[in-house]
Amino acid sequence: MPTLTIDNRRIEVPEGTKVIEAAEALGIMIPRFCYHRALGSVGACRVCAVKIVDGTRKGVQMSCMLDVEEGMVVSTDDPEAVAMRRHVIEWLMLHHPHDCPVCDEGGHCLLQDMTVSGGHGLRRYLGNKRTHLDQYLGPRIQHEMNRCIQCYRCVRYYREFSGYRDLGVTGIGNRVYFGREREGTLENPFSGNLIDICPTGVFTDKPARYFGRRWDLQRGPSVCIHCSLGCSVTVGARYREVARVEARYAKAVNGHFICDRGRWGFPYTNEASRPRAARVDGEATTVGEACAAARNRLLHVAETAGSEAVACLGSERAGLETLKAVAGICRANGWADPLFWLERRARENVAAAVSLLGDDLVLSLRELEAADCVLVFGADPLGEAPMAALALRQARRQGAPVFVFDPRPVELPLDFHHVPLAIEDLPECIRSLVGAAGDRETARGADPTVRSFTDQLAEPSVPPPPEAVAALRTSRRPAVVCGTDVTDAAAIGLAADFAALMKAQGRRAGLFYLMPGANGFGAALAGTEAASLEELLPRIEGGEIRALVAVEADPLGLYPDRGRIEAAMRKLDLLVVLDYLDTDSAAAADVFLPSTTVFETGGTWINQEGRIQIVRGAHRGGIPVSQTGGGGHPPRVFMEEVPGGQAAASGQTLTRLSPAEVKGASEWVRLPPDTDKQSGTRAVLPDPSALRFAPERTALSGAAGDEAMLTVIAVDRTFGTEVLSSRSPWLSAEETAPTVWMHPEEAGRVPLSDGDLLEIDAGGGSLVLPVKIVENMARRTLVIPRHRDAAWQRLGATRLRIERDCIRKAQPVGENAPVKESPPR
Amino acid sequence: MMSATPKKEYPQVLLANRHPDRIATLEEYRSSGGYRALADTLGAGPQDSLKETIAAAVLLGRGGAAFPAGVKLKTVADDAPFPRFLICNADEMEPGTFKDRVLIHADPHQLIEGMALTAYMASAEKGIIFIRPEYESAARILEREVGIAREAGYLGENILDSGFSFDIDVHRSGGRYICGEVTAQINALMGKRPNPAQPPPYPTEKGLWGLPTVVNNVETLCCVPHILRNGADWFQSLALTESGAGTKLYGVSGRVNRPGCFELPIGIPLSEIIEDYAGGMRDGRRFKACLPGGASTGFLPVEHYHIAMDFDSLKSVGNRLGTAAIMVFDETDCLVAATWNLLEFFARESCGWCTPCREGFPYLRDLLWRIENGQGEPEMIGALRELCRDMSYAYCAFSPGGIAPVESLLDLYEEEIVAHIEGKGCPFRKRS
Repeated sequence: MPTLTIDNRRIEVPEGTKVIEAAEALGIMIPRFCYHRALGSVGACRVCAVKIVDGTRKGVQMSCMLDVEEGMVVSTDDPEAVAMRRHVIEWLMLHHPHDCPVCDEGGHCLLQDMTVSGGHGLRRYLGNKRTHLDQYLGPRIQHEMNRCIQCYRCVRYYREFSGYRDLGVTGIGNRVYFGREREGTLENPFSGNLIDICPTGVFTDKPARYFGRRWDLQRGPSVCIHCSLGCSVTVGARYREVARVEARYAKAVNGHFICDRGRWGFPYTNEASRPRAARVDGEATTVGEACAAARNRLLHVAETAGSEAVACLGSERAGLETLKAVAGICRANGWADPLFWLERRARENVAAAVSLLGDDLVLSLRELEAADCVLVFGADPLGEAPMAALALRQARRQGAPVFVFDPRPVELPLDFHHVPLAIEDLPECIRSLVGAAGDRETARGADPTVRSFTDQLAEPSVPPPPEAVAALRTSRRPAVVCGTDVTDAAAIGLAADFAALMKAQGRRAGLFYLMPGANGFGAALAGTEAASLEELLPRIEGGEIRALVAVEADPLGLYPDRGRIEAAMRKLDLLVVLDYLDTDSAAAADVFLPSTTVFETGGTWINQEGRIQIVRGAHRGGIPVSQTGGGGHPPRVFMEEVPGGQAAASGQTLTRLSPAEVKGASEWVRLPPDTDKQSGTRAVLPDPSALRFAPERTALSGAAGDEAMLTVIAVDRTFGTEVLSSRSPWLSAEETAPTVWMHPEEAGRVPLSDGDLLEIDAGGGSLVLPVKIVENMARRTLVIPRHRDAAWQRLGATRLRIERDCIRKAQPVGENAPVKESPPR
Repeated sequence: MMSATPKKEYPQVLLANRHPDRIATLEEYRSSGGYRALADTLGAGPQDSLKETIAAAVLLGRGGAAFPAGVKLKTVADDAPFPRFLICNADEMEPGTFKDRVLIHADPHQLIEGMALTAYMASAEKGIIFIRPEYESAARILEREVGIAREAGYLGENILDSGFSFDIDVHRSGGRYICGEVTAQINALMGKRPNPAQPPPYPTEKGLWGLPTVVNNVETLCCVPHILRNGADWFQSLALTESGAGTKLYGVSGRVNRPGCFELPIGIPLSEIIEDYAGGMRDGRRFKACLPGGASTGFLPVEHYHIAMDFDSLKSVGNRLGTAAIMVFDETDCLVAATWNLLEFFARESCGWCTPCREGFPYLRDLLWRIENGQGEPEMIGALRELCRDMSYAYCAFSPGGIAPVESLLDLYEEEIVAHIEGKGCPFRKRS
C-alpha cells in the first residue's frame, strides 16, 4: 500500500491505484473528460495533467495514466499543470459551438463546468470552427456532433463496455466523427447511457429536450421498477410531469449504467389516459365517496356471504407498503388469504428462490461481474433483466466463460455457449452438472446432507457439456444464474444446490436469481402461505368468493386464460380496483380508486437478491400541466387544487376502505437498524440452508423427450412485454413484432416457412401468429413473447404442454394477412 | 563553402547490389554473400549468442527512434508464449524519407534474409511486411521475391533443413502516417483504429493479438545479415565516429544539385554528404539550414554545417538523426513557410486520439499561416511557444516530433518570424 502526498496531504492507497483516483479519495477532483471510473484510463483528453514533484517520472504527467508510487509527491495546482489544463480546455473549445443557451446539456455539462472553472473565457484562435453533420440516431437520442470534444467515452462505452458495434469513430485528426455508418436507430438496448456518459451535449435525451434545465427539474433518487434488479435512478420532473430518468450510481447493483427500458419506461406515469379520478359504477366521484362505497359494499358481501367471500390481490409490481397493506387488510377483516400471484407456478418458483437464497450464496449484480465462470439456467438475461446481460459481459471481458442453458434463442452482447435444451430437460441438465463438476470427495467431507445428496444423484441421461465441466473444474468464483420465469421449482432448487455444493468445495461460488416484477421478492415474503389467483379461481367460479379487491394488479389483462378469467370476473358481485394504470381490470371495476406511482409516493422494493431499497417520491404528481394548461407557455392556469391530485398511495387507500382497522404488518420484513437507504440492505431471511439438498431433487424427472408433445412458453422480452415500459411510445419502435419462434426441425414438420402463420390451439382458446424460424433454440418448443399484440392470454398458462396436432399452418385472412413482399425494384 | 578534399570512396554494404535500372536477383544477392548468414546460423548455434552479436554491434533502429535492435530482441522473454510475430515496418511516410523504398527496389532478398534471421533470433514463426500503399511496386516486388525465396527454401517450413519455419506476408497499410508508429501499426494489423497504445505492455511482451511481437524498420533488418556474417566489430568499424556503428542511407532532398539516396558511414560530416554526394548547393546558393532526419526533427542551422551525422552528435546539439532524410534549405527559403507546410502534414495526419496533437497542430498551422500571410501579431510568438510547450505532453511521440521544427524555428529564427510580423508579410516573397 504506497503512501503518497497530493497537495501536501498524505494518503495511503492500494497498489495499482491511479493518481487521479488517489486524489479523488482525498476529495480532490482533478478535471477529467476521457477518464471514467467504469471505463478506466486511456489518456486521450490530457486535461487531468498534474505536476509530479517527486517520483520516477517527474514533471507534468497525466494523473489518469500514472500509477501511484511510494513517496510520490503530486501537485495539482502547480502553475505548469494549471497552464496545461487551461490549454486543453482552450483546445477543446476551438470547435465547440457557443450554443449553451439552446443546448440541453447546459447546466449539467462537464465541459461547461471545466471551461468556467478553468478560466477560459476569451477566444484567441482566429480560425473557423470545424463543423459536422448530425445523424438521426432514433427517437430517444439526439446527436449534435459539433459539440464533440473527442473524449472517446461514447465509443469505449458502446463497443468495449456494452458490446455493440453500430456506433464508432471515423476519420482522423480534428475531423474524427463519432456516429453510425449510416443514420438509424442505435441498436444497443443500453444506448441511453451515452447521454449520461458524454461529458457534453453530443448525445442528449431526445424526449426530454427543451423541457427544462436540470435546475428546473424536481429531481430525486429513485429505484427502477421495470425488472427485478432494482437499479438506482434519478428522476427529474417538472410541471407535474416526469421528464427524464437518469442512471444513478449504485456500487452494488447497477454501477453507473441502466438499460433503455429503465430509462424510457416512465411515460405510464404521464399518460393522458391514466385514470386520475375515482369511479363508482362508471361514474366519476371523489376518492372519499368511492372509499365509502367500496367499504360499504365489501361489508355487505362479508355480511351476506361471510368474510371469507372477499379476496384481495396484489402484484409483484407493487411496493412493499402496498403488499403489506394487502396482507394487513385480509388479516384484519378475516378475508381469504392474500393473493400476490396470478399463476401458481410463479408463486412456487419465487417462493422457492427466496427461501433458498441465503446470505452465504447471494451475489449482487456487481459481484456477478467478478465471477470467473457463469452458468445461466433457464433465463434470458437481456429479456428478463437487461442489466444482468451487461454484467455478464463484464464477467466475460475479464475472461469468464458464460454458458446459457435455455430453450429460447437467447442473445447476449458477448461470446457465450448456448445450450438450447427443452425447458423440461433443465433440471436433468443441472443435475448432471452437479454430478460432474464436483469433486465429490471434497463435498462428501463437507456435510452429511451434501454427501447423501450427491450419493443419490441419478446417473444423468444427458452427459453434461464437456466445455462447461472443464471450465467449472478450474473455476474459483463460479456463479449460477437462474431464472424463475420459465423454469420450475425443481430447477430453481437444483441451481441453489449446485451453488452450495461448489461453495462446500471451498470456492467462492454464488447464486443469482432473476425474478418477475420489481418486487417479486417482496411478494414472496409477504406470506409464503398466500395462494395464487389460479388456485383461488375455482372458488370464484363456484360462487364462494363474491368480491375481489385488485391492488395494482390486472387479473383481466394478464391472467394467461382470458376466457376463464372474464367468466370468473362476471361471477363476482364486486370488483374493486386500485391502480395508476388504465388496465382492463380498472375498466371493469365496480369501484375504482386512483393510486400513485413510485415517482410520486416512492416506496420500498426488494430486488431479486433481497436488497431492500427505500425511495421517496420525486414530485407531487397530478395531471401534467401540458394536459391541463391548454398549450400556453408558461402555463397561466391557476387553481387551488392540483388537478388529478386526489390519487393516494394504494396502501393508504386500502386502510381507508377497510371495514376493520388495519394494523401495521411489519413482522415479515425486518430492517436492520443500520440500513443505508441509498444503497439498500439485504432483507433478513430465515436460514435457507435447511432447504438445500432436498432428496426429492436427486431423482430424474424424465418429463421431456415425448415426441408427441410440444412445450409453449410465453416469455419476457427487452421491450414490449413488461407491463409499465411497454406503454412507452419511445420504446415501442424497438419492440419486435410478436412472432412465435420455432426450431427449423419443428417448422419443417408442420411444414412452415419463415413468416407463415401458425395457429395454436391451447387451453385458453386459439391464437395465430407469424412464425420466426431460428436455429439457436430448443426443439419441441414454441416461444411466444408476452406482447400485447400476441394474444398470449389465450394460451391458458405461461408454460404449458400441448399435443403436436394442436398446431397447424393458418391461412392469412382479411386485414390480418401479412403484406406480400413486393418484387425487388 | 566547397570542401577542398576530393570525394572519398566508402564501402557499400546495404546498396552493394544496387542497379540504376532494376532490382537485384536472388542469384546476384547470393553471389554477393547473401543467404550465407542464414545458412550458417540457422540451427547452428544458440540464439542468445546471435542476439549478443546484434547488441554488440550497437545496431540502432533506423526507423527514426534509434532504439537498439539488440536490446529489443532481448526483451522477448525466453518463456514468452507462442506464436510470436516479426513485423517489418515498411510504412515509410516521414516526409523527405525514401530510403526503405530504395532498399526494397535495390535488393529485396537482403530484407527477406534479415527478416528470417531476426525471426530466428526471436523464435517468431510469422513475418509481416507492413508497407505503405503508395509503395505498390515495392509491395509487388516483395510478394514476388518472397515467393522466390520460399521456392529456394529460404522461407516456409523447415528452412534449409534447420527445423526452423518462418514465412512472410506482405500487408498494405490503409495509408496513414500514424500507422508507422509501432503500437498503432499493430492495432491497424488487428483491424482496429491505428491509435497508438502507451506501453507497458511493450509489443515484445504483448503485441499482435496479445502475443510477443518484434517490429523493426526495413533498414534495420537489412543490416542484420551483414552483422551476423561479418561480426559486430566490423559493423562498428564502418562508422566514422566512436559512438556510431554501421552505414546509413541518407536521403538528401531540397536545394542541392543531385538529390538522392546515398549509403555512407555513420558519422560522415553533413557538409561532405551535401558537397561530395548531393552535388553541392543549387544555383550557387548558400546553405541556410536543413532538417537532418525528416519532418520530425528541428532545423539544423548553418553553424552545424560540418556536424558528424550520427545519433550522438545530433543529440548533443538538441537535434536528432531521425531517418537521416536531409532536407536542405538555402538563403532564399522562408523557414516560416517551410514550417507551415510541414504543419499541414502533421495537422492532417494526427490520429485524433489526444487533444494536444489533434487540436494543437491545426492551431499552430493557423498561426503560422497568418504570420506568413501578413496577419501576424506580436503575441503570436508567445502563443506558438505556449502551444509547443503543452503539445509536448501529448499521448505519443507524434506531437513532440511534429513540434520539433516549430520549436527550432522559434529558437533559431525568431528574427525571421518577427520580420514577417513587422513587415506584414513574408520578406522572402517580396524580394522574389
